[in-house]
Amino acid sequence: MVDGSARDAGIFGAACLCGIASGLFGIGGGTLLVPFLALLFAFGQHRAQGTSLIALIPPTGALAFYAYAKAGYVSWQVGLLLIPGVFAGGILGGWLAKRLHPRRMQQVFAGLMFALGMWQAISAWAH
Amino acid sequence: MTLIVLLLGLAVGVLVGLLGIGGGVVLVPALVYLLHMDQHLAQGTSLFILLPPVGLGALRQYWKQGQVDLRAGILCAVGMLVGGYLGGMIAIPIASRHLKGLFGCFLILAAFLLWRKPQAENQTMASAAGDSARG
Repeated sequence: MVDGSARDAGIFGAACLCGIASGLFGIGGGTLLVPFLALLFAFGQHRAQGTSLIALIPPTGALAFYAYAKAGYVSWQVGLLLIPGVFAGGILGGWLAKRLHPRRMQQVFAGLMFALGMWQAISAWAH
Repeated sequence: MTLIVLLLGLAVGVLVGLLGIGGGVVLVPALVYLLHMDQHLAQGTSLFILLPPVGLGALRQYWKQGQVDLRAGILCAVGMLVGGYLGGMIAIPIASRHLKGLFGCFLILAAFLLWRKPQAENQTMASAAGDSARG
């Protein structure tokens, strides 16, 4: 383990990279932050996820959101309608996860995401 | 239309809680393909939805178990705030078509990261609440 300030600087740098992905792709950033903390800084998986959660409590996407909003790239109506569903669905999903096989579900979903990613890349660039 | 959007939110939320992948990773393609949004509009709308602290409930469980590194968390929050603005500035001038393709590449990378997650984490309390840690 490297000493304190070098570690702090490393974590900050990794978080900046996650932030760039977050602003570039309109996502939260935890998808990258959790594996970064676990792989690069030897965080246990729980500690990586807990730390990612606290990092995501402040609206870290606010500046990225501001950039999109200024360019007119926000659908306010759809966004407001989606928020309650995502909240309620998250609770329901957490409840369900205890009853299903989460690892299998993750693998199925990773496969789906891979296919969706290929589809997006191909439909964008294949002409 | 309104009903479809409400149901979409619910479905995305279920996936987030269930699978531990980010809301945005699911939301953006859903907005593009189901609501036929432009890539930029989908990403901006996703960022809007992610502004409220959706992981607050999950965080409580981690906090109680001492699984939070507050110092690293604050560093990450500041880093992501700054990086997020940079990312936004990079994304906006990119042609929608290229942004869509890049997003596809990112999804493929995220799929690999999701696949390689170790078995152990799913055995404990993290499986449900914790997984919403992924933005």
